[in-house]
Amino acid sequence: MTLRDFIPHLPGCASARFILLGLLSCLTSISQAQSVNPLEGNSRAITGGGSLFRAQCATCHGADAKGIATIDAPDLTMIWSERDLSVSEVFSTIRDGVPGSIMPAHKLTDSELWMLVSYLQDVAVAGVTDLPAGDVVAGAEAFRTNCSACHRAHGQGGSFGPNLNAITTRRSLESIMASVRQPSVIIGRGFKPVRVVTSGGEEVQGVLKSEDAFSLQMLDERQRLRGFQKTELQSLERLQQSVMPPFSRTALSDSDLYHILNYLQSGAAQ
Amino acid sequence: MTKPVIKMFLALAMVCVPQLPVLAQSGPSYEDILAGLSDPERWLTYSGDYSGKRHSPLAQITPENVSALRPIWTFQTGTTTRGRGFETTPLADDGVLYVTGSNNLAWAIDARSGRTFWRYRRNLPSDLTYGASAPVNRGFGMLGERLFMVTLDAHLLAFDRRNGDILWDRELADYQVGYAATLAPLVLEDKIIVGISGGEYRTRGFIDAFDPVSGERIWRFNTIPGPGEPGSETWPDDPEVLAAGGGGTWMNGSFDPDLNLIYWGVGNPNPDYYGDSRPGDNLYSNSLVALDADTGKLKWHYQFTPHDLNDWDSNHMPVLAEIEWQGQPRRVVMLGNRNGFFYVLDRVTGELLLGKPFTSTSWARELDVDGRPNILNDGSQGCLPDPWGSTNFMPPTFYPALELFILTARETCATYVPEEPANTPGQSNFGGTAVIDAEQGSGALRALDVHTGDLVWEFTYPSPTFGGVLSTASGLVFAGDHEGNFMAFDAETGENLWHYQTGSRIWGAAAMTFMLDGRQLVLIPSGTTLTAFALPD
Repeated sequence: MTLRDFIPHLPGCASARFILLGLLSCLTSISQAQSVNPLEGNSRAITGGGSLFRAQCATCHGADAKGIATIDAPDLTMIWSERDLSVSEVFSTIRDGVPGSIMPAHKLTDSELWMLVSYLQDVAVAGVTDLPAGDVVAGAEAFRTNCSACHRAHGQGGSFGPNLNAITTRRSLESIMASVRQPSVIIGRGFKPVRVVTSGGEEVQGVLKSEDAFSLQMLDERQRLRGFQKTELQSLERLQQSVMPPFSRTALSDSDLYHILNYLQSGAAQ
Repeated sequence: MTKPVIKMFLALAMVCVPQLPVLAQSGPSYEDILAGLSDPERWLTYSGDYSGKRHSPLAQITPENVSALRPIWTFQTGTTTRGRGFETTPLADDGVLYVTGSNNLAWAIDARSGRTFWRYRRNLPSDLTYGASAPVNRGFGMLGERLFMVTLDAHLLAFDRRNGDILWDRELADYQVGYAATLAPLVLEDKIIVGISGGEYRTRGFIDAFDPVSGERIWRFNTIPGPGEPGSETWPDDPEVLAAGGGGTWMNGSFDPDLNLIYWGVGNPNPDYYGDSRPGDNLYSNSLVALDADTGKLKWHYQFTPHDLNDWDSNHMPVLAEIEWQGQPRRVVMLGNRNGFFYVLDRVTGELLLGKPFTSTSWARELDVDGRPNILNDGSQGCLPDPWGSTNFMPPTFYPALELFILTARETCATYVPEEPANTPGQSNFGGTAVIDAEQGSGALRALDVHTGDLVWEFTYPSPTFGGVLSTASGLVFAGDHEGNFMAFDAETGENLWHYQTGSRIWGAAAMTFMLDGRQLVLIPSGTTLTAFALPD
């Protein structure tokens, strides 16, 4: 597939098709890294980009583009929301690679690069797009009451659970609701609950941060980082229940949750 | 003559006949490599000797004292390589270590201090293909004053080991098509044997022999037959498919000097996951080939995974041993395969003696009478071992006195999604993808009885591990894990006796050991560091 295959579909180009200067300027703008992806949302480009992705990128970044932590290959579904990258930065990174890392340069045509960018835009985690209206001030209060002991947002709160800054850009409303109502169904890496008893009889419960054949590293319930040699432990128990309590609708109504999400999305402490 | 006259005469003589310093020894000979690890101060080839056993006769470090083992120095590459770092095995001779690293860096290092004598860095092109995605190297070959190293742009280099100067540089294949080279050259009496990487691209694998002095190529064995050649009947009748059939030879081989045979593993057919374009067994992909060292002609082959759809390359270190097999002495070649089976073959004839799973793979649990796997799950019955396989190129060890084959096993779960590829030269050509369920991964160091393939002992790891294995005649096994631990085990029981956190996963590399000034050193590469261990003085 070449750039020519896409040109009739490009916004702004069609009207210029019969005007030489306009066409030249249009082609020039497409062939360089630019601030707008000329193929954004183009279904053929997304499909083609997906094929390219599976052939060129999936070995390291995973078939679902969600990355492979053990080889430091980042989750590409999050690059737009977590890193605030522009399309031209993503375009350049694919083309040029990342010096000093395993990420190579790619000998792709500009149109292929834009197809890949289109695909990555398509698989990007959309975040909350359908958030019902809520009261930011009430949300701040509800957050302080229900969440801030463990979660941090807008510079306030605990560090036991995931930081909830910008959570609405990373997760869908449905997925956030599921985590609040039934937090033990999917427990993320770094938050798996464990309980150990040391040889001295101390019982410590917390979330597992890392583990090897000889040791484990956890954040205990008092939000203290603890490292243990396994030989020093009487027991190691992997718990099924998340340390996050399930919030029923009685404990936290949908409207309270919407207030909280509006507060989190507001970008400022209240 | 008076004294001043004598002095003047001597001065003139020195001017006329310069007194050259006596040259140091001229480096290891073929006979030295053939002698393997019998000289305790040397480690001259990738596995220590031609057999691939990676079993040292050294016995200063024992199960009783290994708990006192401590680092004596750490060498750092000084680079920021992420992902795969050191996969090399250093060579040791005359107190000097010859070491290769990622991105075709190389060093000569003082084994007493960890300081460098010289450093080499290849000026690599910016448009590497396979070499960009796996920028690794597994070590030097050495003969006399020459070192040999392959490169990510698919060249073979000869170095002057005294200063790192390049003596000659030969292209193996066009890197822009997808070729690269990563293994440690196998040095024979008058040949340097190398293989090639790039089976994920539209390449055709080969094994080459080069003259160590002139750098001229002596022979080439193509792992994918040409039209009409033996083995071509296992492919479609299409020269274009054969010319891009894959079959990389990217891991080291072993050598039997008595039989004059080279044993070498062959990788996946291309495309990796999409088989519709290549119906048939696809010889000699996923096979072990035995080649005549003089001519490169095929003596026999055994295919482990016919018509591979899972990227289960058979690029493993073939381990040669002499064992008693059902009452008869037998010269065997053994390996643990990416497909999850442990194999013992007669290395004279290629006859299959044993094939048994060493993981919980559901792909197959037994071989048919003709040695083909009886496939139970092609992926439609649940997940399969991932493309990194049930083990991989990380070297295993064979412990002769215990007749144990000790390897790193990976228990994984992947779903393969084939897709017809674009077949573009210079671009990787997997033909789909594999979705790995990371939650279901684990690893283990496993010791197998070579007569039965039965598990004798194991030590489990929390994740699928890529570290290699070394054993010493004192009853020790050294291994590395994915979490960065370098460990020592009792070879008889598998009991962990010692461990040290190196700070980076030990990936593809195995330890080596040698004596220096009466002290046994054990070296392990990890990430971008190489650490030497010894007992306290």
